[in-house]
Amino acid sequence: MQEIIIGIGVTALAGALAAVAGAAEDTESNIGSQGDPNSQVQLAPQMGYTHRIYNKAVSGEPPAYTLWVTLACGVAWAFIMMNVNAVLAIIFGTVLATFVQGIYATTAYLGRTASLSKFGQPVFIDVLKSVTTVTMGHAFVAIFTTVTACYLMSTVLHHPFALPLLGVVWGLALGAAGSATGNPYYGKERQYQNQKFGAGVPISASGNIVRYAEAGQRSSIDNGFFTAKLGGPASGLCFGLIVFFELWRTVLFEPIANGWGAVVAGVVIILIFMIIDRYVEVWARKNYGPYTAAATEA
Amino acid sequence: MSVKVEASHDGIPHNKVMAMGLILALVSLYIAVAGAFAGYDYLAFFGGIAAVGALIWGNSTIKKLCSYGIGTGVPSAGMLAFGSGVIAMLFAAKLAVISPFLVPIAGLVIALIVGLVLGWISNSVLNMKIPVMTRSIAELAAVGSVALMGLTVVATGHVSFSEITAFNIDILGITVSFYDVSYIGAGIIAVSFMLGAIALQHPFNACLGPGEKQDRTNMLAIECGFLSMIVMAVISFAFVSLVAAWISLVIGLIGWFVSYKKYFALSKRDAAAWLDAKPFSDAEE
Repeated sequence: MQEIIIGIGVTALAGALAAVAGAAEDTESNIGSQGDPNSQVQLAPQMGYTHRIYNKAVSGEPPAYTLWVTLACGVAWAFIMMNVNAVLAIIFGTVLATFVQGIYATTAYLGRTASLSKFGQPVFIDVLKSVTTVTMGHAFVAIFTTVTACYLMSTVLHHPFALPLLGVVWGLALGAAGSATGNPYYGKERQYQNQKFGAGVPISASGNIVRYAEAGQRSSIDNGFFTAKLGGPASGLCFGLIVFFELWRTVLFEPIANGWGAVVAGVVIILIFMIIDRYVEVWARKNYGPYTAAATEA
Repeated sequence: MSVKVEASHDGIPHNKVMAMGLILALVSLYIAVAGAFAGYDYLAFFGGIAAVGALIWGNSTIKKLCSYGIGTGVPSAGMLAFGSGVIAMLFAAKLAVISPFLVPIAGLVIALIVGLVLGWISNSVLNMKIPVMTRSIAELAAVGSVALMGLTVVATGHVSFSEITAFNIDILGITVSFYDVSYIGAGIIAVSFMLGAIALQHPFNACLGPGEKQDRTNMLAIECGFLSMIVMAVISFAFVSLVAAWISLVIGLIGWFVSYKKYFALSKRDAAAWLDAKPFSDAEE
């Protein structure tokens, strides 16, 4: 009984940590223009629109976050092996992972921007300094919380996977949650505010991204302010629910039918979510419908 | 049938880059293995040099493969390379019971075979029809295997299967082996895998565009290699002797710092302009 109560407590804590991780991850990738929105940032100078948006392409978010979280887990494990306090070890691991993330971010910005020299896109050192440090701060929060959740799963819940392997699983899930849930709130919406809402992006507007903010030329830090409102919390909710449901079904149903109870619970959870998703999709289509041309006055 | 798009004109042809990277990687690996064979681990840092050599080669291959317009396929190529590389490495590590000197070359050969099969499947069965596909995937698998062996040596000082699956502790004069806290048992191999896979795809992915230059991309490959080496050196404190770990860490840090600075200089050379706190001005306006 006591084990189940501790398990539920850890489940709640890990879910909360994951919610913070998801929010920070999405904000980080949007400020750095990683993932889907990056293609338009890359395209803009080629269409004649030079800009001050960060052009960061380390890889897709899932592989990138797999690396940061896995390496933080590995380093934390090594420090724990050397009898360093677990909290300190996790911090050391996260610091090193954030350092690697920052280095990858700067080399990606410099490389991509320098390769666009033909189109007159300059390298902005002030953008490099200000935006990289902000993404590193967000990455630190995302990595630290995820590694802590992995550590709890490994030590308290006695997960059979080693710490770095849990890092692979949850880093990948974190990147995927941020990429799939967070980006729709950013991507085209933020970059094409100069286009008519709901029009999609016509080919003629390709690369014509919004380059000016209220107080002059826009940099990517502004994207964090924009997406922290909806994209970040949505990603946080998504990743938090993934971790919460995953642990909750394991803790409660693992003892039933030799572990098969947890499998059945997982399938039931997936089915319930599929029904909810379908309902929301149909509801949204009915209410907002496809884009229609504005009625012209006769 | 994909259309070939020339990324940039290379100063050094691919075959020459491949030969240089391969020789650097194999020679370094053999020095590290010889060190381990002689009974001390101070030469473990040569594993990092081997990874750098492999990454230079792999980058040139990715550039060649990705000139056939598979943009989002660049990160996947890194994953595929290390996925097939890890199979080859584990297989080869088993051969250390015959001789540890067999492992590096066996890893290379097995990876080439695994890669050829995978390349044939993607090109002929999945019908991707890219002329350089089969050869490139074979090369990438070999790069993955060699880089993984290099990073393994940095972390543990060994490449043999018995050493990377056991952690030996002397308790009251008796040596006890633990699997759970070994390089493979503790999952540290996953860290090497991810470090290598991202480092392999990053240089070309980060530098792609019409202004891509071979020397700048190669410098970034070297930087990524040393950066991965720093992380493995920190982890190696749990496995190798204190002196060996410090040697790896210091060499990794110096190599990374020098290449990072050089990469900044090359980016400054290639950039259209290098501005600090200045707004852009549109050419057409």
